[in-house]
Amino acid sequence: MEEIKTGFGNHVVQYSAEYSFCAGCNSCEAICGLVHDAVVSPSYSRLFVKRGGTRDMVCHIVSCQHCLDHPCYESCPKQGEAMCIDENGIVYVDEEACIGCGKCVSACKFDPPRINMAKGEKKKFWKAKKCDLCRTRPEGPACVEYCPVRCLGLDTAAQGDVKDPEVTEKLVLNTSVGGVDFA
Amino acid sequence: MPNYTARDILDNPLNTLRLQGYVGKILRIKLTEQTTEIVSTYDYVPKYLGGRELCNKIFWDEVPAGTDCFDPGNKLIYMTGATTATGVPTGGRTEMTGIAANNLPTQYSFSGIGGWIGAEFKFAGYDGIIIEGKAPEHTYVVIDDDKVEFKSADELWGLKVHDTQKALIDMHGVDFKCMVIGPAGEHLVRNASITTSNDNVMAKSGFGAVFGSKNLKAIICRGTGVVPVADVKKVLELRLEMGSPFMRPSPVQPQDRQGLPGSDAKGEWVRGNISCSYGCNQHCNCLMMGTNSVFTDEKINHVEKCVSPFAYGFVTDVPNNMAANWMTKQNHMQPCKLLSREFPAPDPTDPYFEEINKPILPDVFDFWKPDFEKGNLINELCNEYGIDKWDMIIWILPWFAMGQKEGVFDDMDLGMPVDVESSEFVSAIIEQMVYRSSEMGNLLAEGMARATRALGKEKFADTIYHGRRSQMLPGSPQVDLPISMETAWGHSFHWQGRGFEASISKPTWLATTIELMTSSRDMQTIEHHHDQYEKYLEIVADPYNSQVLVDSIIMNEQKGEMKDSVTCCDWQSPDLWWTSMEAEMYAAATGYPMTEQELAQSADRSKLLYRAILIRNFNRDRDMEVGAVWPGICIPDSWGEVADWDGFNKLVDRYYETRGWDKATSWPYRETWEKYGLGDIADEMEQIGKLPLRP
Repeated sequence: MEEIKTGFGNHVVQYSAEYSFCAGCNSCEAICGLVHDAVVSPSYSRLFVKRGGTRDMVCHIVSCQHCLDHPCYESCPKQGEAMCIDENGIVYVDEEACIGCGKCVSACKFDPPRINMAKGEKKKFWKAKKCDLCRTRPEGPACVEYCPVRCLGLDTAAQGDVKDPEVTEKLVLNTSVGGVDFA
Repeated sequence: MPNYTARDILDNPLNTLRLQGYVGKILRIKLTEQTTEIVSTYDYVPKYLGGRELCNKIFWDEVPAGTDCFDPGNKLIYMTGATTATGVPTGGRTEMTGIAANNLPTQYSFSGIGGWIGAEFKFAGYDGIIIEGKAPEHTYVVIDDDKVEFKSADELWGLKVHDTQKALIDMHGVDFKCMVIGPAGEHLVRNASITTSNDNVMAKSGFGAVFGSKNLKAIICRGTGVVPVADVKKVLELRLEMGSPFMRPSPVQPQDRQGLPGSDAKGEWVRGNISCSYGCNQHCNCLMMGTNSVFTDEKINHVEKCVSPFAYGFVTDVPNNMAANWMTKQNHMQPCKLLSREFPAPDPTDPYFEEINKPILPDVFDFWKPDFEKGNLINELCNEYGIDKWDMIIWILPWFAMGQKEGVFDDMDLGMPVDVESSEFVSAIIEQMVYRSSEMGNLLAEGMARATRALGKEKFADTIYHGRRSQMLPGSPQVDLPISMETAWGHSFHWQGRGFEASISKPTWLATTIELMTSSRDMQTIEHHHDQYEKYLEIVADPYNSQVLVDSIIMNEQKGEMKDSVTCCDWQSPDLWWTSMEAEMYAAATGYPMTEQELAQSADRSKLLYRAILIRNFNRDRDMEVGAVWPGICIPDSWGEVADWDGFNKLVDRYYETRGWDKATSWPYRETWEKYGLGDIADEMEQIGKLPLRP
C-alpha cells in the first residue's frame, strides 16, 4: 500500500510582523487575478487577505498550503484532466476541463477553503481557482514579487529534505512585539 | 456569487469603445421611495472620466439651484475611478460630492476617501452610487452584488463608528465592506465624517451630517464580480515605478513617543505602516497599536495620518523647507515617503541642494504641551464619534487655547474651566458638540465659522492671539494671528502662510490662496502645491505679475481634478518629472489611449463643471471669491509679509484671463465652455444672464 504523505509542499507564506508587517493593501489578491485572468476580483484570487476586527486592523494572508497528500486532487472527478499535478509536484487546475463541481473546495483541509470558485466566461460552468505558484512564470509567484513590503515569501522548509534557513528565520521571529500580539 | 464576467462588460452594447476598468453601472439609491435604478456608466465615460468629474456632471444635470445641504433634494454622488480595483496603485481612492454641510456659505463641495469600499462597489458591478431623497426612518442599505435592500437602522442608531462597523459585520459577515456615520452625523454636526475601514474617512465637507439628514446610517456592500483590466503588463510596470516603492520589508517598530519634534509626547506603542486603500503600492498610514482606549479597558489600534500627531502636543507648527513645495529633479520625492519614513537618499550634488533643504523654522504657537494619553483620547473621540479630526485638532481646540489665553471666555460659564491641557475638558467639549448637549456644544456643532459669528465675530474670531511667535524673524517676535484661524469658505488655514503650516514662502501662499479662491473648501488635501524649484526662481521676484505662477496654479488644479477623477492620490501625484503618469494609469486600466493633453483637457472640463455649479446654484462671482480669501492674506506670514491689494488683484486678473474667464465677473466665456464640449452649459448660463461677452 502506498504511504500517504503528510505535510505541505512549497507554498506562499506570510512572514512575521517583526520581519515585515502586512500593509493590508490587497496587492497580492489583485496581482493574482491580473496575472492569471487579466481581471481583479475576490472570486478570482487564489490567496486571501483576512482583515482583523474593526479595532484591530491587522491583516493575515492565507493561501493554498500545497498539501503533499493533495485532497483537492484526490477528490476531483476529472483527476489528471481538470486537477493536475505537474513535474514539480504542483497541483494546478486546467480550467478548460474543470466542470465546476466544487468537490475540491469541499475537500480542502482549511477553513476558509483555499480554493476559489468563479464563473467562467461561458457562464455555464463554475471554475476552480487554485494557487499554482504561478508555475509558468519564470519569476515565480507574482504575489511575492509585487508585495510592496516583502511580507510574502515561499516556504521551502516544509519540503522535508531541503530547509531554507532564511525563510525559517523570518517565520519564527517573535509574534509579540511591544506587548502587541500578532499571532 | 458573481453574476457577470469580463466578457459581459466588454460585450455590453452600450460599451461601444469596449472600455475596461469600468464595470458599466451606477446605482441610484432612492431613499424616499426605498427603490433603486440603474444608470449606465457609458452615458458619461470616457468624456467625463469618473470620480469627481463624473460626480460634477451628474450633479449639474440633476440638482437645481435653491437646494440646501439638508434638503432631501440634495444628492450625494459617490464615484470610483476607472483605476479603482485594477491593481493600478492609488486607484483605491474614491470621491463623494454634494452640497456640503461644513462650508460657509453652504455650497457644493467634495471629499475623498480610501479603504476597500470603492473596490467592493466595483466588484458588485457599480462604478458609483447616487444617494437621493430621505429615508422615512433610520435606514441602512445592503448591497449584495446585484441585490439591494433597505433595512431599519434602529438598532444601529446611536452607536459609535467602530461599534456600528462591528454590528454590521456581526449581522452580515466580514465580507461586507461598509461606510458608516457615528453619533456626530446623526446629530447633523456640520463637520461629521463618513468612515470606512481602517479609520479612513471623508471629512472635509461634512457629508456625515448629510447622511444623518437623510436618516442614512450606513451603506454596506459585498461584491464578487470582476473588474477587467486592459493592460496587465503596464499595470505591473506602474506598480514598480509609481512613487518609487521601496519594495523592502516594513517591520513593526516599538515606539516610545508620538508627535512632531519639539511637541512630541512620551508614550509606549507599536508602529505599523499600512496602506489606506485597495491595491496601493505604498503604506503611508500609521497603525498605532497597543494604545489605551477611552471607552474600553482593552488595548486598541487606530490609524493615524498627517494631522493626528498634533493631538499629542502642539507647541510649534510644522518644520519646513523649500523642497516641500518646490523640488528639483535630483531631489524630489512623493509625500507618501514622508509618512512611511522611507526617504530616498538625498543627492548633495544638486546645485540647489542647500537652498531647497535649508530649514524653515516653524512658528511657535504653544497651544498645548505634550500629553500622550490626551493625544490618544482626541484621536479616538474623533474616530468614534465620526468628526473631522482636522477641525478638532487644528481649529477648535487651538481656538479654545488661544481664546482662553486672551481671556475671551472669562465671562462665559461653560460649566467647567476652559483648559485644553485637561483631558476632562477636551472630552467634555467634544461630547457636548457631538450630542449638541450644551449651548457651546450646539454652537460648535454648527462649525467654527458659524459658531464664532453667533458668539460675536469681533471678540470670538478677530481677537489677536499674542502667543504666536515667528522663528524666522530676529528675536522671535509676536506675529498677529486672529483666534478664529479662519480662511475662506468656512474652513481654516492650511498651507496658506498663516495659521497651520504657516512657514511657507509668499509665492507659495499666493498660489494656494488662488487655488482656495476658486474652490468651495480647503484645497490643500488634494492640491498640496508642488512645482519645480527652477520655476520658483522665475516667480519669486515679482509673483503678482508672474505668468509662470499662474501656470503653476493651473497645473496643480488640473492635477487635483485628475487625482479625484482618474482616480489617484494626492500623496503620489503629481510626479513633476513624469507628467504623463495619470494618463498612463487611466490607459492601463481602460485601454483607452489617453494622452497627457487629453487628460489635462478633461481635468479642465471637471473644473468647469464645478464652476458651473458654483455659478448657477450658489451665485459665485469674482467679488465673492476675492472677498472670501482677502482677509486671510492680510494676516502676516512668518516673515511678517501680507498681500498687496493691487498686486493680488493683478494676479487674479491674470489667472481668470488664462482660464478663459471674464475677469470682471469670473464667469467663463462661451468659447471656453464650448472648447471643452460644454456648449449646453453656455446656453444655460446665457439664459440666467451669466454668460459674459468678451470686452
